[in-house]
Amino acid sequence: MSNRPAPPLPIRNRKSTMAQQPETRVSAATPRLDVAHLAKTYGSGGKARTVIEDLTFTVDAGEVVCIVGPSGVGKTTLLKCLAGLQPATSGRAAIDGRIISGPPPEMALVFQDYNRSLMPWLTVRKNLVLPLRHLKLSAAELKERCDSALAAVGLSHADNQYPWQLSGGMQQRVAIARALAYRPEILIMDEPFASVDAQTRFDLEDLCLKIQRDFNMTILVVTHDIDEAVYLADRVVVLGSRPARVLKVVDVDLPAPRDQITTRSLPEFARQRTEVLSLIKRPA
Amino acid sequence: MKASVRPYAFSIVGVAGALVIWQLLAEAKVAGTALPPATTVFATLATILGTGTFWSSLGATIGIALLALALSAVAGVAIGLLVGSFESVKYATLAVLEFLKPVPPIVILPLAVLVLGPTAEMSLLLVVFGCLLPIVMQTVDGVQGTDPVARDTARSYGMGEGEILARVVLPSAMPYIGTAMRVAAPAALVVTVVAGLLGGGPGLGQNIYQAQAAGDYAGLYGLVIVLGVLGLLFQGATRLAERRVLHWHESYREVEPR
Amino acid sequence: MRITMRNWVIGVAAPVLLLVAWWFLSADSTDPFFPPLQTILVRFQELWLFEHFQSDVLLSLGNLFLGFVIAAAAGIALGFITALVAPVRWMLDPLIHFLRGIPPVALVPIFISLIGFGTQMRVTSIALAALFPTMIATVDGIRSVSNDLLDVSRVYRLTRKERVLKVLLPAATPQIFSGLQVSLQVAFIVMIASEMLGSSQGIGAMTLLAQQSFMTADMWAGILLLGVIGFLVNILFSLLRRRVLSWYIGSRRLARAS
Repeated sequence: MSNRPAPPLPIRNRKSTMAQQPETRVSAATPRLDVAHLAKTYGSGGKARTVIEDLTFTVDAGEVVCIVGPSGVGKTTLLKCLAGLQPATSGRAAIDGRIISGPPPEMALVFQDYNRSLMPWLTVRKNLVLPLRHLKLSAAELKERCDSALAAVGLSHADNQYPWQLSGGMQQRVAIARALAYRPEILIMDEPFASVDAQTRFDLEDLCLKIQRDFNMTILVVTHDIDEAVYLADRVVVLGSRPARVLKVVDVDLPAPRDQITTRSLPEFARQRTEVLSLIKRPA
Repeated sequence: MKASVRPYAFSIVGVAGALVIWQLLAEAKVAGTALPPATTVFATLATILGTGTFWSSLGATIGIALLALALSAVAGVAIGLLVGSFESVKYATLAVLEFLKPVPPIVILPLAVLVLGPTAEMSLLLVVFGCLLPIVMQTVDGVQGTDPVARDTARSYGMGEGEILARVVLPSAMPYIGTAMRVAAPAALVVTVVAGLLGGGPGLGQNIYQAQAAGDYAGLYGLVIVLGVLGLLFQGATRLAERRVLHWHESYREVEPR
Repeated sequence: MRITMRNWVIGVAAPVLLLVAWWFLSADSTDPFFPPLQTILVRFQELWLFEHFQSDVLLSLGNLFLGFVIAAAAGIALGFITALVAPVRWMLDPLIHFLRGIPPVALVPIFISLIGFGTQMRVTSIALAALFPTMIATVDGIRSVSNDLLDVSRVYRLTRKERVLKVLLPAATPQIFSGLQVSLQVAFIVMIASEMLGSSQGIGAMTLLAQQSFMTADMWAGILLLGVIGFLVNILFSLLRRRVLSWYIGSRRLARAS
């Protein structure tokens, strides 16, 4: 990415910098992701299980949106419907106005379990190349994409190793690099930092924000960690109750760029965190 | 059609279809008289099942297999405990065991027939040769996989080595031994049949050879079907036995569904 | 795994001592069943190197190789189809489970009656008997590919061909190789059996002939050769497996260590 936009100045609300971004594909008014009354029921007849009942929210271009909710509320089901891996039972999810009925080409997904989402028989580099083969790119472009993706996550030295030779945090970074090399416009992450230790988690959170800045990517992160959600997001979608529905969409008014030490010690951070936490802990 | 019933419907179609194809091919005399029609085979089978010689033959086959299996189990576990517990024994026997591992009993069949003749003892020897080694090796794995914490705990309670062997090592090796038995049981049946077919030992193997030599093709196919069913029964029985004996072990505990 | 000097010495010395003991204990043997080791080795060299090398050894090995390769290719291909096309699987499942329980050697008389005594019969018997373990293992391997890997291939919109060849096939390879190993054993056994039952050529045939003519040293030489072949073929297979599955072996080792 040779002409990336300059990092935004630290002003109060990140959203107002969008007008200055040179590469917005859609106008700020049209959301990239539009979820309306999405519902998903597994099984039928007596064994039917409704996991999500009525989810409605939007994600604008260039935003970071975090989805939080208690364990088992159906966040993964939501992601699978958004990624086109499963059809919704009713309601709809649309990307740029198109109904999602199969995996959209502009979207990439980073799974929670990096152990089982990276191909163990391929080196790191080959793992990155695998999704790119059918895009019919030249060898030079393939190399460039892999090199820059690995550099973005800080793993240039590991490109010839196998995933299982790397630590958990590094494996997750490989998964993120794979998504980056794919050059998606929307990145969805399913509890991506849940299986790594706390220190690595902070590094990966900052990596996530860096990606958003560098590539102007729209990012949707599902997490059960409320601190993480408030730290990362422009908006937090709080899910609750069984079957799941949107309890509230909370605007996060913290300054950008976020920093692990200063942002987290702001009183505003604690306030937003408490707001989200009390929404989740409220009896359904 | 309901989705859950569909697999069974297809299965029935599959089996029925195979039988029909068989019948048609046979009646078209595709292979001369060598391929008897399915109807003839089943009719002959029904007749065979009515004869006493069949059942005594079946009994001989099962009896030899089970006896050999028992002998292999006792000897195999004993040898395995020995080899697994003493490092010097393990390395002394390593070369021989590794060489014998890929050698199937059929290789020594001529020798067995030469020395013991076409007898039940010959069959027993062959089956033991085939089943002993896997049981030994699995027992060794089981012994070496004993949790050292369990062993130390027993020692701190003042248990002697012999007692530790019997009360700690052996039970923890049981899953390995169970696996070996589950694999060895059908193998015992197979080798018994081979000993009969190629070596003249008593049992269904010998009957199959005689049927083929006499040109009794319907009988030949019938007996092969009997072997198939017998194989299934053996598999099922060993699985049940394993579950009964090892129900306490981790691999059988119900895993909480996520 | 550090093997101490002492264990090395024991490991090498024990089999050597065994052979030496055999040599000397049998040196003046007039036992018709157990000729001197020296005589056996002399006959071994005379027979197999090189008088009968081409006519019998290469013949047997050629049949083995051909039969195994056919079984492997067909087993993997059929396994893929069965695993991926549900109706096929539903139809074939009961048939396969029944047929796999039949001792492979028992199929040889059937093939003799259908095809005769020639090379085609032998290769066909080997191929068909060795087909099942690989096919079943392939089906198991493909069906147990982690759902996450499949989700990844869908999210990144891999083409169907890419999904089958670049995700399913590599992911199932460990299990396919387990099946191939069993298939190799079965092929070896059926190779010997098909020669013993219906041939005058091949190592198995010659060994049985020697036994029936009471040419005991020749019989022992045949048994020895078969044992060595069984051992070497397995080693070759293990080497191949280590090469192809280096990623799997590495990752399992790491997983065990953690």
